[in-house]
Amino acid sequence: MTEGLDRQSFLRRSFAIGAALTVPGIATELARAGLDVVDPKRLKKTLAFSNWPLYIDDVKGGRHPTLELFTKQYGVKVKYTEDINDNAQFFGKIQAQLRRGQGIGRDIIVMTDNTQFPALLVKQKWVEKLDKSVLPNIKNLQPALRHPSWDPNRDYSLPWQSGMTGLGYNDRLTKPVTTIDQLLTDKKLKGKVTLFSNMGDTLPLVVLANGDNPEKIDDATFNRALAKLQKAVKAGQIRQFTGNDYAPLMAKGDVVAGTVWSGDMVQLQADNAHLKFVIPKAGGAIWTDNMLVPSGGDAYTASVYMNFYYQPKIAAMVEEVVSYVCPVRGANQALLKADPKAARNTLIFPTQQMLSRLHIIDPTALVNPDYQRKWQKLLGA
Amino acid sequence: MTSTAADLPTTPRRVRVRPLAFVRRHLLTAYALLAFAYLLVPIAVVIMFSFNHPKGRFNYVWQGFTWDNWRRWDAVPGLSSALVNSLEIAAIASVCATALGTLIALALVRHSFHGRSTTNLLVFLPMSTPEIVLGASLLTLFLSANAQLGFWTIVIAHIMFCISFVVVTVKARLVGFDRHLEEAAMDLGANEWTTFRKVTLPLIAPAILAALLLCFALSIDDFVITNFNAGTTVTFPLFVWGAARAATPPQINVVGTAIFAIAVTVMLVNVLWQRRSAAGSS
Amino acid sequence: MSFLHRHRGLVPYLLLAPGLAWLALFFVVPLGFLGHQSLEEQNPVDFSYTFTWAWHNYSDAISTYHPQLIRSFEYAGIATVVALLISYPLVYWIAFRGGRWKNLLLLFIIGPFFVTYLIRTLAWQTILADQGPVVHFLRDVHLINVIGDNDRLLATPTAVVAGITYNYLPFMALPLYVSLEQIDHRLIEAAQDLYANAGTAFLRVTLPLSLPGVFAGTLLTFIPASGDFINAQLLGTTRTFMIGNVIQSRFLELTDYPVAATLSFILMAIILLMVLVYSRVLGTERLTG
Repeated sequence: MTEGLDRQSFLRRSFAIGAALTVPGIATELARAGLDVVDPKRLKKTLAFSNWPLYIDDVKGGRHPTLELFTKQYGVKVKYTEDINDNAQFFGKIQAQLRRGQGIGRDIIVMTDNTQFPALLVKQKWVEKLDKSVLPNIKNLQPALRHPSWDPNRDYSLPWQSGMTGLGYNDRLTKPVTTIDQLLTDKKLKGKVTLFSNMGDTLPLVVLANGDNPEKIDDATFNRALAKLQKAVKAGQIRQFTGNDYAPLMAKGDVVAGTVWSGDMVQLQADNAHLKFVIPKAGGAIWTDNMLVPSGGDAYTASVYMNFYYQPKIAAMVEEVVSYVCPVRGANQALLKADPKAARNTLIFPTQQMLSRLHIIDPTALVNPDYQRKWQKLLGA
Repeated sequence: MTSTAADLPTTPRRVRVRPLAFVRRHLLTAYALLAFAYLLVPIAVVIMFSFNHPKGRFNYVWQGFTWDNWRRWDAVPGLSSALVNSLEIAAIASVCATALGTLIALALVRHSFHGRSTTNLLVFLPMSTPEIVLGASLLTLFLSANAQLGFWTIVIAHIMFCISFVVVTVKARLVGFDRHLEEAAMDLGANEWTTFRKVTLPLIAPAILAALLLCFALSIDDFVITNFNAGTTVTFPLFVWGAARAATPPQINVVGTAIFAIAVTVMLVNVLWQRRSAAGSS
Repeated sequence: MSFLHRHRGLVPYLLLAPGLAWLALFFVVPLGFLGHQSLEEQNPVDFSYTFTWAWHNYSDAISTYHPQLIRSFEYAGIATVVALLISYPLVYWIAFRGGRWKNLLLLFIIGPFFVTYLIRTLAWQTILADQGPVVHFLRDVHLINVIGDNDRLLATPTAVVAGITYNYLPFMALPLYVSLEQIDHRLIEAAQDLYANAGTAFLRVTLPLSLPGVFAGTLLTFIPASGDFINAQLLGTTRTFMIGNVIQSRFLELTDYPVAATLSFILMAIILLMVLVYSRVLGTERLTG
């Protein structure tokens, strides 16, 4: 299921594709499609876009071809900052200003739906409504992602990428790790395992390993999962709880196995070719990173950008480098000619069978203060 | 007279050199060398890895030598703007803090007034408060005042914690200052302001400069207080913090090495210049 | 100028005003706000706060986080002692054997400090890595599980303490140097004239005279080290978290301001208490110049 794609060939390939697609043909095609609906006078001069690191197409020199194409077409410069490293940390930075009705100097931010923050932002009305009049390409959104419980009509958000949470392991340092139970109890892995500190990432996997349903978590389910984790922590099985900083540890070989994100493992293979990703036998989790417009941001320009991104050809360019799950229908067809290997990579374009084994976490569990307190205690922080 | 001194029996002042003393003497030197190695090895690692050529996102394993990182040090998005922010903040904060702190130092040393011990306490307390408390309390203030967190809140925070260091540095020089020079100037007809400008200021200038440089260094390196009060602005240490989680490009080591090299050069020049002027005046 | 002549008494106050105003506004007042915040309670649904004279915040904080509090002082204490043991001989050597090169040698101590704190700590991640030379050596001499845990050094308390020791070493070394350097060598010679050997001279003359430096150095090291969180974050795990990590995450991630404010005050109070006791034990030393 995993592909050994070398990061350098990623970059080379994306550059090649970018070059091929930048040829006048595609540019005029885009122009014809886009400019009809958009009123250039309403566009801001600069779009401030905050995102996670390594989450967009890039070539050597730090340039982003898709953003450059956007600028070329609409004349809007994009100030792209990769300053989101953790949902809670980023939210902590911006919530004070948002609560006072102040802007945060951003037009688009990206937050994950397996934390309470997208739901909170929408509920508190700290986000602007998208302008659907310039978003005809919303029709390209994958059907499965169209009606999340916290934004049923996609009035405030659009997915940027989806991802799978599963098991990662280093096949040079261990035999394949295929179940959560193995991760938590195999003595050979003692002290070399990491788990996600975010409850929304780790909890569904453990709940599934217990045979319970992560989409409906009650107290008994939660306590069973917690007990399993506590046992592993006490036994010294877990080296540490991490955010996205498990990646350097796996790359170095300090950590042999752990819960990981699908796209990361593909990207990390350039650091360490022995890293593999699997969906646990009992099932894995799927989450979505969503683009939101914080209050004070320009919803019109942001919506124009989102519409631009939701073209299969553009999404394909990003997908090819990022290697997470693409929310835009048709992107894999767009990739087929330029990069058939990526187009057929099931980590990027998962099959129906895979999707059936992936679950979303019960959003009410994320906001339950009792669960949060117990979870913090587990982390020992 | 000297012959009398030569006639007196003298007690030997030096202990006879024995083998054990020899070992002891050089043991200390050997230890000192080890300790220096301990201090410098991490720095060597930083410098070495600035030349590393990692294939992937992280810079923890040596994979080959390259000049690329130095040639294209700003190839990492966000690094150069973070560095520029840090330099600007450090420049503004150090100038302001040095000015404010020097005034306080002058008052403390030269004048008598009520509330001297309170002033001492107020100046000393920030240095003995953990940074995390300083940063957190300022954040609380800014939030209550509805201030926009960003560049200027960082500057304000940096000025605050630097003032104490300036006072201590300048005060040390002022205390050992020979007032006779000023009195001489005034005897020769200079008024107070002229005396200050032409005699005092040039003589305490080295201390003011040292304080300025100290502030600059503290400001550029500050992480904890800045992290609390930066909002979405990014300074170089904040950039490194974020990078440590996602990808540690070698360019971070490049900038770190560059800052280190510049600082050490400045200090080296200072030390050598002091030795020269000391040699000249003796 | 004549205004100032007539109002000579005003001059010091004019000099003090701008700086002290800045400190008052941006140091004292914020502490007041922090105190106010420590007595608030947070509404968990919409993250807003109400002031309720919540003194129970303090008892709650201590009962929930006393492991981290104790751990912080433990790590900071060990690091301070180790830093003292490492720096004293080194600084002694520079002060007494350095001769003309003293200032230059000091540069070696201060120099590393100019590499950004975070970058220095990341370098330790490389040095103490599982596949690195230090761990391999410790494994070979079978000391790895004595010093570390589970065949590794990173993500153990040892690594955190090692990081703190290294990062705060200059704070210990420089005050020590200042006081050692000021010792009048004639005193030592006098002791030797009175038939003291090198060891006795050191114990009876040098060491006591260097105590002010030891005092200043240990304070300057211990106080910031106990509030540190970066070493625990980069070199440790959630189970080596110090009180600084808790305060930081409560402020910046979980936005549980009242708890964070409470912990900050508790930290400051404990530090002040320790400093008072310490200065009593060592005799009244004047901290401010």
